[in-house]
Amino acid sequence: MTNPVKIWRGQKGMANLIGQKGKIISWTFIRVPPAGFESQAPYPVALVKLEDGKTIIAQMADYIEKDLRPGRKVVAIIRRTIQPESDGVISYGIKVRPA
Amino acid sequence: MNVFVIGAAATKFGELWGSSPEDLAREAFENAVKDSGLGKKNIEALFVSNVFFGILGGQVHLGALFAEEFGLTDIPAFHIEGACASGGLAVHAAVNSVLSGRYKTVAVLGVEKMTDYKPEIVPGALMGSGSDEERASGATLPGLYAILARAYMRRYKVMEKELASVSVKNHFHASLNPNAQFHNILTIASVMKSPLVADPLRLLECAPVSDGAAALVITSARPGGVEIIASEVATDSLGLAQRESLTELKAAQIAAHKAYKGSGFGPEDVDVAEVHDCFSIAEIIALEDLGFFAKGEGARAILKGQVTLGSSKHLIVNASGGLKGGGHPVGATGVKQIVEITDQLKGRAEAHQAKGAKIGLAQNVGGSGATAVIHILKKQ
Repeated sequence: MTNPVKIWRGQKGMANLIGQKGKIISWTFIRVPPAGFESQAPYPVALVKLEDGKTIIAQMADYIEKDLRPGRKVVAIIRRTIQPESDGVISYGIKVRPA
Repeated sequence: MNVFVIGAAATKFGELWGSSPEDLAREAFENAVKDSGLGKKNIEALFVSNVFFGILGGQVHLGALFAEEFGLTDIPAFHIEGACASGGLAVHAAVNSVLSGRYKTVAVLGVEKMTDYKPEIVPGALMGSGSDEERASGATLPGLYAILARAYMRRYKVMEKELASVSVKNHFHASLNPNAQFHNILTIASVMKSPLVADPLRLLECAPVSDGAAALVITSARPGGVEIIASEVATDSLGLAQRESLTELKAAQIAAHKAYKGSGFGPEDVDVAEVHDCFSIAEIIALEDLGFFAKGEGARAILKGQVTLGSSKHLIVNASGGLKGGGHPVGATGVKQIVEITDQLKGRAEAHQAKGAKIGLAQNVGGSGATAVIHILKKQ
C-alpha cells in the first residue's frame, strides 16, 4: 500500500531536486519492469551527476534514442511514478528529461 | 581457536514445485548432520538465512520455525537477512558464535522458495535490497547491474561477447553438476540472441528464479574436514548513486583484503572460487575485486577459458555452475557456496571437481553491492 505520510515526508527532498541540471553517467533500458511499472515499460533509468555534485538515479522521460548516452545534459522534473494501487494514492517522484 | 566445516549438504536447485520450504530445509539439514558424523543433539544453535519468506510468504519468526522443523526446539535460533548475501552473513554469524567460545557446534541453514510467487512480484521484491530512490525510478536488480555493465564496458572497451562468455562457462560447469538447475550448454551466439532484460544485459546473462536449500555443520570441537580460515563482511551504500566507482564493488574489495590479510593467503593461492555471478558483469567485476585479475582483464580471461574446468591455470571459478547455471535461491546461495567449496576441498565434487584444490574462496554479494561476504577455506 502507498503510504501518504511517507510521501509527505519525502516532499522536501524532492522539491530541492526539481529544476537541477546534470549529466548522464550511465544508463539502462528496463524491459522487464517490477510490479506497478508495467504500463510505462520499456523505459530508461539513468544515473545522473547533478551540478551540485550529488548523483541521483531516475527514470528518463520525454527522450529520444540519441539522448541515451553518457554526458547528455538532463534536468530533474516531477512526474507520476508507480501506478496507483486500489487506495487511489497517486505517487509523484523525480524523473529527468533532456535539458 | 580453529573452526571447521564438518557437515555440508545442498538440495538440488531448480523449479521444485512439489517441495515446500520446510521440505527443502529438512533435506539439506539432515544430510549435513549425517555428513558431520555427529548427532543432532550436538547442535547448540541454528542460524537461518532467508530473504522472501517474510515479505512474500507472510511468514517471519524463521529461527523458531526451522528449529521446530528439525526437532531442535530447545536451542537458540536466529534469522539472518542481508538480501542475496544473507547466506554468507549467516555463515559469518555462525563462525563468530563458535569463535567466541559460546558454542562448540552450530548449524547454518539457507533456504529459499521463489517459484511460489508470480514472476512480476519477484523483481519488485528483489528491489527490496536497493534504495527508496531506486525503487521510485522503476529500476530492477538487472537494471542496476546493467548500469554497472555499461560503465564497465565503456571504460575497459569490453564487448558483449566477453560478457556472454560468463554464462557459457557457468552452464558448462552446471552441466557436470547433478544438483544444478540447468544442464544445457550455451554458446556465445545463443546468449547474445536471448532477449534483452535491461540493456545491455540479456536473459541468459541473468541468474534464474530458483528454489533450494543448503546446510552446514560448523564446529571447533573436532578438527577435520575443511577449516574456515577467514570470514569477513563489508558494507557500502544501499544505492548505486552513492558509490565511489561503477566498475568495482568496494565492499567486496574491503572484505577480500581483510580475508587475505587475516588468513595469510593471497589471491594467487586460491584454487577454487565460488563468486556471486547474479549477472554476467558481476562475475567479471568479482574476479578483479578479488585480485585474481587486473582491472579490465577479468572478462578476457573468462572468454579465453582461463578459469574453466580443465584449464591449465590453477584457479577455477564457479565450478558448481555458479548462480547462473547452478541456480540462485537467494537465501540459500551463500550457504551453498560454502557447501560447494567444502566438496571441492574434500575432493568429492565428482564430475565438476577442480583437480587438487587445497584453498577455496566464496564471495557472496547483497543487492547491487551494498553487502559483501568473503570466506576462505582450507583443506586439512
